[in-house]
Amino acid sequence: MALVTALRRLTHVRLREYSRRTAMVTSSAWLTARRSFTGGTQPLRSSDKVTIHFINRDGEKITVKGSPGDSLLDVVINEDLDFDGFGACEGTLACSTCHLIFDEEFYKKLGRITDEEMDMLDLAYGLTDTSRLGCQICLTKSLEGMVARVPDSVADIRQSKDGSA
Amino acid sequence: MISVRRMLQQVLRVSGRSAFPLVKWMERWAEGAAADPQGTKVQAVRTLDDMPGPSVASFAWDLFAKRGLSRLHMLQLEGVRRYGPMWKASFGPILTVHVADPALIEQVLRQEGQHPMRSDLSSWKDYRKLRGHHYGLLTSEGQEWQTVRSLLGKHMLRPKAVEAYDKTLNSVVTDLIAKLRLSRRPQGLVPDIASEFYRFGLEGISSVLFESRIGCLDQVVPEETERFIRSINTMFVMTLLTMAMPSWLHQLFPKPWKVFCQCWDYMFDFAKGHINQRLTAEAEKVARGEKVEGRYLTYFLSQTGLPMKTVYSNVTELLLAGVDTISSTMSWSLYELSRHPEVQDSLRDEVLSVLEGRTVPEAADVARMPLLKATVKEALRLYPVIPANARVITERDIQVGGYIIPKNTLITLCQFATSRDPAVFPNPDDFQPHRWLNKDQTYHPYASIPFGVGKRSCIGRRIAELEVYLALARILIEFKVKPDPEGVSVKPMTRTLLVPEKVINLQFIEW
Repeated sequence: MALVTALRRLTHVRLREYSRRTAMVTSSAWLTARRSFTGGTQPLRSSDKVTIHFINRDGEKITVKGSPGDSLLDVVINEDLDFDGFGACEGTLACSTCHLIFDEEFYKKLGRITDEEMDMLDLAYGLTDTSRLGCQICLTKSLEGMVARVPDSVADIRQSKDGSA
Repeated sequence: MISVRRMLQQVLRVSGRSAFPLVKWMERWAEGAAADPQGTKVQAVRTLDDMPGPSVASFAWDLFAKRGLSRLHMLQLEGVRRYGPMWKASFGPILTVHVADPALIEQVLRQEGQHPMRSDLSSWKDYRKLRGHHYGLLTSEGQEWQTVRSLLGKHMLRPKAVEAYDKTLNSVVTDLIAKLRLSRRPQGLVPDIASEFYRFGLEGISSVLFESRIGCLDQVVPEETERFIRSINTMFVMTLLTMAMPSWLHQLFPKPWKVFCQCWDYMFDFAKGHINQRLTAEAEKVARGEKVEGRYLTYFLSQTGLPMKTVYSNVTELLLAGVDTISSTMSWSLYELSRHPEVQDSLRDEVLSVLEGRTVPEAADVARMPLLKATVKEALRLYPVIPANARVITERDIQVGGYIIPKNTLITLCQFATSRDPAVFPNPDDFQPHRWLNKDQTYHPYASIPFGVGKRSCIGRRIAELEVYLALARILIEFKVKPDPEGVSVKPMTRTLLVPEKVINLQFIEW
């Protein structure tokens, strides 16, 4: 019991501080997970990276590179791409906000889709035959040069209709 | 048209509505006029004043005098019939807008914002404030909620993380099978299966949270776990009652609130006791220089730098969230399977063919069992554990179904009504798992969303699904499940959650 009290005292931080602290914990734990995901601590040479072209909601093309093993959602976060509302559930397969649309050619290379992803995808706005969730697509060399289009969200449509945010 | 309606409403309000047939007729005419705006060319945006719904007095009468609290899910169906897809009603002191159409529910959820809020006023929050507890995932909001959600989400929802729980859960399922065998009476009858599955649910969520077993499935069940389960049940009954009661009624009848608090006190104590016991054991290990694995959620939470009070409240809420939910889903699935032997046979065939002689399914096997998933989906469509979800949009007014809903309005999402809507699901009251496997048939994706959708959806969803899949598969391998020969059909009732109204007894016949 005394140990627990000590532990509690040690870990106790004021409410105002803890969100900042845990945010740090989150990101460091997340980075560790990412490192282990790519398998090994050796830094990847840039030639090992995969080039992806995103088309944002304004139709602009944004070209970035990602490491094999990273998901497309990881790439959007790592590259700090500003797609409003993208990846709301942080890759936990609980929403469909990382919905992306692919060309037929690359869509076929994306690998199997699970029932769980399919169910979430059903809830996506503007679903197409070549839609997938970015959090479930892991980069491989065969996806080099892939184009992923970010579809309009409901919010965009509402904004353009009545001109308000 | 609108001004006539408004006038009529005012007249109706002062004349003590539903007293005279003429008034009733006028009311229907007025509501019909509002529900069918096709005739008017320009559809003006309507406000809450224009929205139909029962008067405060008549709804309160339904709730308290006509057992309405336990029939809240049926009141959803009545609401749709009387008022159409949207209506307003006062639940105790709170005015809430009911939305009972899949497309309109979609409209609400798409506007839920960055930190979705379920409800800003609740007796659960009041209790925590009163006792000085912190909030857990079910009760916290904003950044406080987001921090814990992000920490736990990746350990509880990501497919790879969830797969790792299959061994832990399978050992609980093994005990469940043994317990069912023990509970069998002559003819293999197991009475009150829901209470067996309460214990299974609590043991399952405890194994995930503490990575240790607490004995719910032992021959003699520890009294403290039984009391924990009773506290959850009573707390859920009191949740609706205490929220529906206006404050003056609380003064007259203080007992519901008192009982409600006692239940929570016990649940917090129970969780705190187990957390402290577990962390003390870890600390002693560390002191002896032993290695601590600590892959379980409580340990992880305690290492994040969150205050212990936050760990206690989160573990309490996760514990209670894993009990009724699992029990109801298991009970209804088996209840329906017992009444549909042809579905049960096909499902057993599917499980056996995937396992190819093995007796214990793993997470990877479940991916190849579409009928198993469809069965659970169908059970949750018919009996959604959460019959009504809720949202409060705090950032701005939103537009839904042609109405402006002012910010901070409590919006009730009538999921029971949409998942039984004949316009969406043909033969809505029939148990037909195959409806989910027919590729040509699609349903509105927001019509049956038992776990909710989006970043505030059920955090235990994937673990619960895996737990239910593993348990159902094993039960069907071991037993043929038949209805109680003297049994009657069982309907659901609302106890905040949707639970069986009567006990469900089933025969478990060895294969």
